[in-house]
Amino acid sequence: MKSFSFGLLALLLGCIGLTACTSQPDAPESVRIRWATDPQTLDPLLATAPQAIEVINLLHGSLLVGDYQSQRYVPWLAQSLPVVSRRDSLTLLTYTLRPEATWDNGQPVVARDVAFTLKVLNCPGLPTEYMRAQYGFVLDIELDASNARRFTLVCQSASQDIIGSSGDYLILPEYSLDPQGTLRPVPLPLLRTDTLAAVQRYPALRALAHRYRTSPPNKLPGCGPYTLTAWAKNRYLRLQRKSKWWARNVRNAPRWLQANAPQLDFRIIPDDATALLALRRGSIDLYPMPTAREFNRLRHSADTANLFFRVADSYDMTVVGFNTQRPALQNALTRRALSMLFDIPGLVQATQQGLAYRSVSLINPHDKLAYNDSLPLPAFNPKAAAGLLQQAGWRRQPNGTWWQDGKQLALGVSYKAEDSGHEIIALQFQAAAKKLGILVKAQPRNSELLKKRLRKGEIDMYVRTMHGNPFSYNFKPILHSKGIGILNYTHFQNAEGDRLIDAISVEQNTMRKAKLLRRFQTLLQQESPLVVLYFARHRLIASRRLSPTVQATSIQPGYDALQLKPNSSSRR
Amino acid sequence: MVRRVLGRFLQLLLTGWGLITVLFVLVHSLPVNDAQATERLADRLETETSAEKIQQAQQAARLRLGLTKPVFYISYAPVSQHQMRPAARWRWNGTHNQYHQWLNGLLHGNLGRSYRTEEPVSTLLASALLVTLPLTGLAALLTIGLSVVLGLWLASRPGLRWLLTGLYALDSLPIFVVALLLLLLLANPDFLALFPTYGLGMQDDETSSIVYLLSQPAFLVLPLASLVITALTEPTLQLVSALRHEAGLPYTQTARAKGLLEKQVLRRHALRNALLPIFTLFTELVPNLLAGAVVVELIFALPGLGRLLADAAATHDYPVVLGGILVVLAARLLTLALADWLYQLADPRLRIGIQ
Repeated sequence: MKSFSFGLLALLLGCIGLTACTSQPDAPESVRIRWATDPQTLDPLLATAPQAIEVINLLHGSLLVGDYQSQRYVPWLAQSLPVVSRRDSLTLLTYTLRPEATWDNGQPVVARDVAFTLKVLNCPGLPTEYMRAQYGFVLDIELDASNARRFTLVCQSASQDIIGSSGDYLILPEYSLDPQGTLRPVPLPLLRTDTLAAVQRYPALRALAHRYRTSPPNKLPGCGPYTLTAWAKNRYLRLQRKSKWWARNVRNAPRWLQANAPQLDFRIIPDDATALLALRRGSIDLYPMPTAREFNRLRHSADTANLFFRVADSYDMTVVGFNTQRPALQNALTRRALSMLFDIPGLVQATQQGLAYRSVSLINPHDKLAYNDSLPLPAFNPKAAAGLLQQAGWRRQPNGTWWQDGKQLALGVSYKAEDSGHEIIALQFQAAAKKLGILVKAQPRNSELLKKRLRKGEIDMYVRTMHGNPFSYNFKPILHSKGIGILNYTHFQNAEGDRLIDAISVEQNTMRKAKLLRRFQTLLQQESPLVVLYFARHRLIASRRLSPTVQATSIQPGYDALQLKPNSSSRR
Repeated sequence: MVRRVLGRFLQLLLTGWGLITVLFVLVHSLPVNDAQATERLADRLETETSAEKIQQAQQAARLRLGLTKPVFYISYAPVSQHQMRPAARWRWNGTHNQYHQWLNGLLHGNLGRSYRTEEPVSTLLASALLVTLPLTGLAALLTIGLSVVLGLWLASRPGLRWLLTGLYALDSLPIFVVALLLLLLLANPDFLALFPTYGLGMQDDETSSIVYLLSQPAFLVLPLASLVITALTEPTLQLVSALRHEAGLPYTQTARAKGLLEKQVLRRHALRNALLPIFTLFTELVPNLLAGAVVVELIFALPGLGRLLADAAATHDYPVVLGGILVVLAARLLTLALADWLYQLADPRLRIGIQ
């Protein structure tokens, strides 16, 4: 026994010794941010992960950028928002680039770089399938012979939203990827419409695709404020602020052109418990989007001396959708009845610990102009639900169940298996429905399989979280009849709805657009293809090592990396 | 002897091939993860033809990834109502299929490219193995060493029932509970903050991961401890039982009669015989530890094979999933072959029997 204890003690002392000889050097000016997953790739053409997009936006620059405070697109590489004009049915957007904007080698960012980028986005042999579709509305680019920084995008759409979309792709450096300028003679319209002919006529396209694919995307120079200095996959990623970043020469540089932190370290820690311990031990400085439970627990703990807590109303909404093509759910009265079985205040407490806010529809209540505040919030009311079911033609049997045309009202509610919040929602609905005599089966599913079945219309009801944004209202993918089979998971098909969605997307007058949006919300509440349960609040825990000016933001990733900076008065 | 080894090797190879073929077909029956790109694109739906554009983009992406080809040599096609014969449901696809292409690549040492990053799968696996191999290798060595020492110690002290009960209790704990307990006990500012919480620290120079890992031992303590604690019980208890059995046999009585101490009897005479039934357990350690590494790498944020596989499975990155499964399968088959060899090495009767 004595030798066993001695061995154990020796082992423990050995371990402590090992710890002592292991150092953790960190630059004093670095801001360390927790990420749950690695960005996997920093290739602007391939990246879809939010982490990748966040870093790419810090390394590269786009013409415009969405500003979370003003809730509109603001000029970034562009000097101002584009000048809009019309040519027949086409929309012309004329941009002028900032004179200060330069690449790392000191060369100015010019219109040729934008033209080159648009050609790369359409280049055959590169993984550009989604980019081609996304920016397919840009038919051509016309360079201004008298001003190297001015150009006009010829666009197909009349929609107001194309202004933002026309400038939100990253501008690639022609000097680095195509130093000989071999793509200059290639006409963009030909690339867009007939790639085969383009490749045959311009072999330089193949060479460019080969060059792009063989050069590591993380070495691609950008015109953003930071440069990538280290990336150990699944461990960390480090960005260093450029010593000669062009925006320092911009007089009265706006917030989105300021990079405060000299160094940003993104630490990849998949497990929440480990990340919280790391934050409390001072190994990381910023923990975005902790679970609501952990956020509240820490907020009321002794750690408040070392940490501070921020919340912001987000555009992430949790919705319940009904498959309107299912026989049992075809009647809007049935859907409205079922909507009354969600105890939303209780669910906000149970899933978000109160860190959420309610809305009558998909429009965020903060948009005072467009939000239809005359509509009532969905209420938990099983008695009224029973009345609506009767109006919809359902008959209650002596055993309490509901029947119509020989079929019982029985439904399945599907949700992402790993989402405990969605499970709570499904179970609460199941319990309320059971009391009313409706048979409901909770169906947790693998995320990809769920999406596949939603697209095919094989699901009765679903719970999911949707990420909105404050910059535009585009309901085409999710509620237009043309979105069926893609992202219109409710399979909602309504002539009035389609007309309103189309009108909203092209309306340029703010007041008229708000009026259309209000009408659309009324229609949504009447038809009830989906119910918005709540909008979540973004949560942020930060170390007091950071400047207290750190704020949570309403859009993903929930913070503004450019605004983070170490607190000058505190030392690690 | 050579024929037997070759025969055994061929048998293992065929088993592995059969398994990976079944897995290939199963894995490819799941959808590909293009939803993220589609949703990103959906925000930009502007024109009347956008829905068709999305479908075209999805089709073009599938074409680029080689997913438009049939999965296997034969495929099952739904029958229209007028076709009643079941034989009409099966269709022969020839060599123009995903499996043939993948197998052909595999035979040329090419595991394909990741759907997510377009990086070669072999590169991703190699960098992950540089972390997982030292971790699981060290854990296996420590487990074997500790289980032998603990087994000998417990076998010579029949009164230590409490320790056996403790080992049983440890065995009942899942690895994620052990890992989290260690984290909360030994890396917690509220308790003992002895070890780093996560990862491998920051590596600023170009040192290879394996060298760096071994030069930063504190980062390894908790992950190693989690793996060893959960793997220790089974071989230890089996060894104790085998040693106690051997201790009752006449040859050990003779050893005692020569005047040897009980410890010496067990170590010098009983241990070699008692190890025989344990070899299989020891050789199963590596695949078991690889499975445990999935959890440990997630909790301690280590960039190993387990995490690579978990991420790839979550995002349906099939080439990486299959490459990872191949590695695990190879480890499993190799350790089975190793068990065979060790048996023959330890027991001369087996060698004589074969000859």
